Amino acid sequence: MNSLLVKAWLRDWRRRPLQRLLTLVGVVIAVAVVLAVDLANQSAQRAFDRSMDEVAGTATHQILGPARGFDEAHYRDLRLAGWRDTAPIVEGPARLPDGRTIYVLGVDPLAEGPFRGAASDIGDAPVQRLVTEPGTILPPSGWWAGSGMAHEDGLTLETTAGRFEVTLLDRAAERDEPAVEADDEGGSLWVTDIATAQTLLGRPGRLDRIDVRLDDADIDGFAELLPDGLELVPVAARDQASRELAQAFRINLTAMSLLALLIAAFLIYNTQTFAVLRRREVLASLRLVGAGRRALFGVVMLEALLVGVIGTLLGVLVGMGLAQVLVGQVAQTVTDHFFVVAVTEVTPRPLALLAVIALGVGLSLLAALAPAWEAARAASPGSLGRGRLERRARRGLRGLAVAAVVLLAAGGVMLLLGTGGLVGSFVALFLLITGFVLLLPLVLAGVLRGLARLGRGRTLPRIGVRSLERSLSRSAPATSALTLALAAAISVSVMVGSFRDSVEQWLGQALTSDVYVVPVAPAAARSGARLPADWGETLARIAEAESVSTGSSQDTPSAVGMIDLYVVEPHPVWLDYLPLLRAEATGEALDRRLRETDAVLVTEPFAAHHDVGVGDRLEIRVDDGRRMFEVAGVYRDYGSPQGTVLMLGERFYAGTAGAEEVGSFGLRLPDDVDAGAVIERLEAWLAERETAAMVTRPGDIEQESMAIFDRTFAITHLLRVITLLVAFIAILGALMALQMERAREFATLRSLGLLPGGVRGLVVFQGAVLGGFAALAAIPLGLGMGWLLIEVINREAFGWGMDLRWPGREIAETVVLGVGAALLAALIPAWRMARMRLVPALREVP
Amino acid sequence: MEQQGSIEGAVLSLTDVAFGYPGEGEVLHGVDLELAAGERVAIVGESGSGKSTLLHLAAGLEAADRGKVHLTGKALAGLDEAARTRLRRSRVGIVFQSFHLIPTLTVLENVMLPLELATDLDAAQRRERAARQLAAVGLGDKGGREPEQLSGGEQQRVAIARALVHRPALILADEPTGNLDSRTGEAVFGLLLEQVRATGCALLLVTHCDDLAGRLDRVLRMQDGHLQDLAAEASAT
Repeated sequence: MNSLLVKAWLRDWRRRPLQRLLTLVGVVIAVAVVLAVDLANQSAQRAFDRSMDEVAGTATHQILGPARGFDEAHYRDLRLAGWRDTAPIVEGPARLPDGRTIYVLGVDPLAEGPFRGAASDIGDAPVQRLVTEPGTILPPSGWWAGSGMAHEDGLTLETTAGRFEVTLLDRAAERDEPAVEADDEGGSLWVTDIATAQTLLGRPGRLDRIDVRLDDADIDGFAELLPDGLELVPVAARDQASRELAQAFRINLTAMSLLALLIAAFLIYNTQTFAVLRRREVLASLRLVGAGRRALFGVVMLEALLVGVIGTLLGVLVGMGLAQVLVGQVAQTVTDHFFVVAVTEVTPRPLALLAVIALGVGLSLLAALAPAWEAARAASPGSLGRGRLERRARRGLRGLAVAAVVLLAAGGVMLLLGTGGLVGSFVALFLLITGFVLLLPLVLAGVLRGLARLGRGRTLPRIGVRSLERSLSRSAPATSALTLALAAAISVSVMVGSFRDSVEQWLGQALTSDVYVVPVAPAAARSGARLPADWGETLARIAEAESVSTGSSQDTPSAVGMIDLYVVEPHPVWLDYLPLLRAEATGEALDRRLRETDAVLVTEPFAAHHDVGVGDRLEIRVDDGRRMFEVAGVYRDYGSPQGTVLMLGERFYAGTAGAEEVGSFGLRLPDDVDAGAVIERLEAWLAERETAAMVTRPGDIEQESMAIFDRTFAITHLLRVITLLVAFIAILGALMALQMERAREFATLRSLGLLPGGVRGLVVFQGAVLGGFAALAAIPLGLGMGWLLIEVINREAFGWGMDLRWPGREIAETVVLGVGAALLAALIPAWRMARMRLVPALREVP
Repeated sequence: MEQQGSIEGAVLSLTDVAFGYPGEGEVLHGVDLELAAGERVAIVGESGSGKSTLLHLAAGLEAADRGKVHLTGKALAGLDEAARTRLRRSRVGIVFQSFHLIPTLTVLENVMLPLELATDLDAAQRRERAARQLAAVGLGDKGGREPEQLSGGEQQRVAIARALVHRPALILADEPTGNLDSRTGEAVFGLLLEQVRATGCALLLVTHCDDLAGRLDRVLRMQDGHLQDLAAEASAT
């Protein structure tokens, strides 16, 4: 390629650094957001997988028994029968002195070989010590760095069984290796010998499960060996639900990042086309001196390639930084809802890096393609005139509108047919969004024409509106970008706001006790934590309670795989408070049905995930083995995204000795009892027992639940802010482009007597018109997106239903935000235009 | 007050004015010029001699580095940007070589623009006066068109109407026929002179063309940043 040609084209970078900077910023942000979300997702996914694998290991099946565990003799019997690929497990939460909760995994290091990496190396000195020295424990290697503790230090662990002094072992110290960096992604899993775990977790002589590795041919024979009360369950069934849900959460995040990408694409397109059109006189001159079409096309694309490469490289750096922020939030969400994970490092996958680089460079090239083609195919320098290009852009509006209608129809049909599951719903949503956005230029042109007509006789506003209309190729993409960002803000507000209101309302209904006594454990591990069932009477006496309820969550096998079963001994008239959506009876009749027959209630997500409804029958494993239960009703519940089956204790323990342990106690107090005093008395009693249990009030639980809720959606808010930032830059770029193109016009107006303040006012007015249009267009789009997120995507992903809340305040905020962003973006070009030197601008080629 | 004294009665007065663009050295060196009310003066000279710059200084579009510029008796040096703009829009009309019509306004609206910026007339009055001015330049039937729909000569006639519509004391015309063919240029020039005469305002015109310049009251030559009065030089020799 001719080097002078390249020089002539690229020297503009020195002349207009701000414009080029905006082009770069578009690519940087687009790449950074997409990469950051991908990195955060992947890192959290790896942590999630590792945590799942550390617990489940390479087992193909698990032997499960009653919730309180089963006799360890069964394990001995299996080994004696020759089944060597078996490993016993006792697991549960514990609390560190600093209040943090950990997960204790009790294993038999001698049997661990084929299962887990963590404690399998029996030749390793600390692992050997786990077996030979009771009370020793291996914290995750990443924990040491910030702990201030050293190898062989003592530490007090608190569990529901009491307080215990343990000795910490560090593999690295024992091997004389350097300390491990804090990169351990299974950071909450503490491994100990099974005997120590039994003591710590109050399960002497009992196991929670036995991991087994079986060939397909052995499965049936093995299952027959098991005594009554024990069941062989495939591992996949156990964690499938969690994996699917974590995936749904990630798809939601990826969709948000793709939305940011779509907005960034507008920004890149806008700045790239402007970068070319701005230099059309250079193009014209180059054509005049004999530069060929191919050469011009090449030089424009070369610049786009440069912008793409530089912007993408910078974007990768920014994205890595942003990922560090996001990954913590993603990991926290997974921890809150699915499993305890800790991620402290983001590691880009080479493939993801390559994909994002291709994306950034590709997007830049794609955005430059149209203007480069335009530049190259111009038959004469004159045909590159702005007016001609704009007329062509206006002629293209109809084509866009036709494409928009096709996309809207395709999206609508996909939604109606409900094909493709969650991904299909997102594709439909994106088709609808793209269709709507493609309609915007036509609508904007119509609105601007209408405004110009209204402004007849008011010369200056008319100039402002008509110059926007005449620069539609510039103003429409910027407005679309802002509309998209604002619509995303509205839709997220609608979804999160509706969700939050529904959760708050549900918590108010679900928490029917005045005081709760619960084990200390993180939300995700709480189902594994237990308190002695015989505390009930004592607690009721101390609290002078009217009634005591108990509840225990447990993973249990069923006909539809492992399910979350919530076994309750409720307060009287509990059904009055339960938000039933569908039921075969109500009140006392339903209560009788649940107490006297094998019937259960299921939550809305459970019904959605397993496609069950009132009247359907489910085989569920209860205390004495599997029995058939009929679904008597579906109720609203946001406690578990996997869904829950609610069963009364008398059905679960029918024919057995009853519960030895429960997950929590709820105490209902008489009106005249001072709850504060009751809590003090209960806390004093608990302190004597030295167990990791605590007393909470509904308000505390509500507060904790809402905090978890807010953490879950913090990342969506963050992405929303980034999206708005991209849109702000888009509108800033568009207004700057518009004003620079109209510099000669402004100079003429100034020479005719328009004051500098008048110029500022005119530019700000244009910003307000674009911002106002974007805000108004964003309202229907945002509400539609919000509705789809709630009614289609959220149901598809989580099965949660919620009441749609009219987001009046958020809409008002969005309008203010949109107009505000546009006005703010208008300030820089307004200031520049008001300060420009008139004579050089007057001399500009029209 | 400064506007009294030697410059009293002059529409435009430049005294020992010097000006240079940043990094380009001085373009005008000690220029003196006085224009009486109703007087029509042409400035001729080669490209780059500083003719247009003189016009820009007279309009207050640029500020002199040295010397004094008085517009209708008011010193520009003491005025800020806004005050200069106010003075310009009430006392001056400008005709540019490349018309500088606002493409987003119709022809009539272009002519109404100075009235909106510089007068208190209501919309109906503005429309009525602009239509009259447009008719005076022979384009009464083209008020609803967009500038792009007109020929070059017609566009310049619109620019003349726009420069005159608010009854300025001074018209500054920068190569008003420079973008037109000779026949159209001749016609437009004739129209400009006729309108200037009809309104009684002063005219300072920059042109390459000695023939056109010769039809005005006085011709000055700009050479290397100095202004020479050709008539005075001729009478001296």
